[in-house]
Amino acid sequence: MGTDDVPLDDKAKRMRDLLSSFYSPDPSSTPNAPSKHGTLDAINTTSFDPDQYMNLLVQKSNLEALLKRHVEMAAEIKNLDTDLQMLVYENYNKFISATDSIKRMKSNIVGMEANMGQLLDKIMSVQSRSDGVNTSLFEKREHIEKLHRTRNLLRKVQFIYDLPARLGKCIKSEAYADAVKFYTGAMPIFKAYGDSSFQDCKRASEDAVAIIVKNLQGKLFSDSESIQARAEAAVLLKQLDFPGKVSDLSPTTAHEASVREFAEAIRAYRIIFPDSGRQLITLAQDLVINHFETTEQYVKRRISSANLLGVLRTIWADVLLMDEVLHEAVLPDFSLEAAQGAVKKYVASTFTYLLQDISDVLLRVNVSPKEAAEEHPLQVALEASRKAVLQGSMDVLLDFCQFLDDDLGLLVKLRDFIIDWVQEGFQGFLSALDDRFLLLSGRKNSSSPDQGLTEGAHSEKVLAGLVLVLAQLSIFIEQTVIPRITEEIAASFSGGGARGIENGPAFVPGEICRIFRSAGEKLLHHYVNMRTQRVSALLRKRFSTPNWVKHKEPREVHMFVDLFLQELKAIGIEVKQILPQGLLRKHWRSDSNGSTTSSRSNPLRDDKMSRSNTQRARSQLLETHLAKLFKQKVEIFTKVEYTQESVVTTIVKLCLKSLQEFVRLQTFNRSGFQQIQLDIQFLRTPLKEIVEDEAVIDFLLDEVIVAASERCLDPTPLEPPILDRLIQAKLAKLKEQNPITP
Amino acid sequence: MQGGSSGIGYGLKYQARCISDVKADTDHTSFITGTLSLREENEVHLIRLSSGGTELICEGLFSHPNEIWDLSSCPFDQRIFSTVFSTGESYGAAIWQIPELYGQLNSPQLERIASLDAHVGKINCVLWWPSGRHDKLISIDDENLFLWSLDCSKKAAQVQSKESSGMLHYLSGGAWDPHDVNAVAATCESSVQFWDLRTMKKTSAIERAHIRNANYDMKKKHILVTAEDESGIHIWDLRKPKIPVKELPGHTHWTWAVTCNPEYDGLILSAGTDSTVNLWLAPISAGDEPNSEA
Repeated sequence: MGTDDVPLDDKAKRMRDLLSSFYSPDPSSTPNAPSKHGTLDAINTTSFDPDQYMNLLVQKSNLEALLKRHVEMAAEIKNLDTDLQMLVYENYNKFISATDSIKRMKSNIVGMEANMGQLLDKIMSVQSRSDGVNTSLFEKREHIEKLHRTRNLLRKVQFIYDLPARLGKCIKSEAYADAVKFYTGAMPIFKAYGDSSFQDCKRASEDAVAIIVKNLQGKLFSDSESIQARAEAAVLLKQLDFPGKVSDLSPTTAHEASVREFAEAIRAYRIIFPDSGRQLITLAQDLVINHFETTEQYVKRRISSANLLGVLRTIWADVLLMDEVLHEAVLPDFSLEAAQGAVKKYVASTFTYLLQDISDVLLRVNVSPKEAAEEHPLQVALEASRKAVLQGSMDVLLDFCQFLDDDLGLLVKLRDFIIDWVQEGFQGFLSALDDRFLLLSGRKNSSSPDQGLTEGAHSEKVLAGLVLVLAQLSIFIEQTVIPRITEEIAASFSGGGARGIENGPAFVPGEICRIFRSAGEKLLHHYVNMRTQRVSALLRKRFSTPNWVKHKEPREVHMFVDLFLQELKAIGIEVKQILPQGLLRKHWRSDSNGSTTSSRSNPLRDDKMSRSNTQRARSQLLETHLAKLFKQKVEIFTKVEYTQESVVTTIVKLCLKSLQEFVRLQTFNRSGFQQIQLDIQFLRTPLKEIVEDEAVIDFLLDEVIVAASERCLDPTPLEPPILDRLIQAKLAKLKEQNPITP
Repeated sequence: MQGGSSGIGYGLKYQARCISDVKADTDHTSFITGTLSLREENEVHLIRLSSGGTELICEGLFSHPNEIWDLSSCPFDQRIFSTVFSTGESYGAAIWQIPELYGQLNSPQLERIASLDAHVGKINCVLWWPSGRHDKLISIDDENLFLWSLDCSKKAAQVQSKESSGMLHYLSGGAWDPHDVNAVAATCESSVQFWDLRTMKKTSAIERAHIRNANYDMKKKHILVTAEDESGIHIWDLRKPKIPVKELPGHTHWTWAVTCNPEYDGLILSAGTDSTVNLWLAPISAGDEPNSEA
């Protein structure tokens, strides 16, 4: 045996060197670069000199050895050829799809450049023409504008000079309304220039206005005039007086003063005109409506409760003031109704903003992973989104509390409503959040037809990591946020009841918890599915590409195993950032060195297999069936838990099940079967290291081998020593590639 | 596999991959199934549900030369069926006739009416038009769609037309529209393609990855049910091919096969690689929650 082993080992090593030199970009980095020339080992190096080699060979060997060497070399060349072919074959698919997309790109791009050129030319010509027009008209425009300005100025001056005469004319014709309009229009100019250039005019105008005021007052207090005329006179008088009085006051007091004045005016008016209550009421109500319309506009922006409270307080003060003089208008009730609308809108918009904030935080996950590969982008995202949800909800509650704590009469009356709105708001907000989660995870696209088109494209890009974050976030909301909110609501927002008792409370934590629990499960499943689908695609390629009936003898573990493990590693990294560790941590395997000497779990590696007749196959089939019957039933499809191990285990289980099904669809020759056997044997150790339930993995891997043997024309397994050697070779190669990780 | 207390079992000697109901047998509930064994003698079983509905009786047992990958019964003659078989290296398809039985179980050989030898390649399935007598057959392999004209009395099948699906579309199976003799849906890697048999051209497609199996609703026009590897069962209205009408969760592993009940609206039966068969109640018009039982 020993003599057999040495050349085989040599050969394997050389093969590996060749392949690795083919793949490594820098030929000098091959680990065992030759130190000396002039030996026969130099055949694989870059500095290989065929003449020298030939000479050396002829000198050193006799005819028999030469012939032997020739045969060996021919065989090696053939092997290398087949390897090359295999590589070409495997890359062929990718190549075809690449050419396909390149072709498509090409056909799309052809003609674009010419069109772009044309477009550019046209835009340039348009631009230059428009510039020409601009410059040619520029001077004229300037001139016209100047003239226009001058004319306006002259007009104003004319107006001021004409003002006294005009006022006089108005007095004559008793057109006081016009007179007041002219005078108030000219006021700013008089204020600025009244002491200098327009002194005379100003004096003359003021004299005229004095006459007007006198006339108006006379009108107001003379009983012979009509009510309409007297009211007009009052309004005009107020207009004349108003600017002079208020000009020194600060804005807020200006507002108060105006309201107070309004109230006083109403009072006076009511004394004068006892019958005109209805008009006043509409006037006052219009004022209140106006206030609240402005408030509602204001609420649409992002404001805090304190701001809104300030506004409401001002309005309420005004309303009370007006109520004193105009009780019939039932202004408090009226404004209560209007305030109800405003506060309701405020509550709604606050929740909308909160929802927006949270989805903004989540969408940032999409961007960050690339820039922060070293850190834990998903963990950061999870923390950020947790904070956004919890802190956001608490802030909102705190904000609303200000409404309840305030002793403003308006709000005291709205208290029950506010409580209901906040409760309803949370109910609605949390359901909307659940919808948003599903949308973000790309699961929603099919159930909402109107968004189907846009979301369909979007769902392709959804990161698996984001789905995992959402799953964990849902659980966090269920277990932490909702209890907190419930607590807060019970503490500060209990009661309510404006909805009526039969409807029950507006906020039903149980229902929301249920929604999020199921959302969490859905999202976790979605994550598992997304990840499994990726591996499935890999496995599909692996099994549908080669011709298994004409498979060549296995030389090394196939590279799909590496890709598979790489995917699992990526999953492991994601999962570790998001999910907690399971409670049950399995003990480490003591003999995890990849040795295949044990045969406990593989019923196929019995020496019964060497008997070659149909009897053998039949008995073996019976055996596996019996073994299946007596084997402890292994649950493959168990519920997924929110732990790292459970998620990884589920994904591995699903992938291995898929692997088994792919195997069952093929027909293998002996070598194909042996290749599967080798790959599966190699997978055993690394899979067990990451999975919580070793028995299941053993079972599933055995199932794969059983399936392969059932689908094999000649199921003779590899001899254990060969299997072992190939696996050790692969392990050594892995160690070589990344010496740090074991 | 488990044989629950309420179920009726019937044991085959080897594994089987396909079963077909005998539509043409209107007097009994019958099925045909064929075994899939690479190294053993394969068999075709004709099974009938006894009149009391309490047991399954083997009505005929015939040996079949190769392992059977697909089997479907002729919708207008209960004694005729088609198989797709493999020798391990190559695939073939044939139309068989069950010889007249006179009670004896040790029955004679199956009679081969025609073999679809002109079709080389990895044949996936043979389709009959599900709604009744029609002298055409379709066979589908990875890359091609063949339309055959079958003459049972002359025992001959001839290729009428053939079309390749084009590069990068690996067909995996198909379904023949029961409402339209000229419409066939073929499943491939990334979509379901719809073919018009008169022109042998693609008419439209549903873009959806990894569809394993498709089945038309026998009662309602334009309704197609598809089964997908990881993402369950979808019901489509072919006039709106962008978004499925309904989505069912499917199985814990791949959903392998799906079929609509020909009589009752909204009853869908699916089989999966998690060794379960699920019966769904999913009426398309009403928005009821789908129910299932294994």
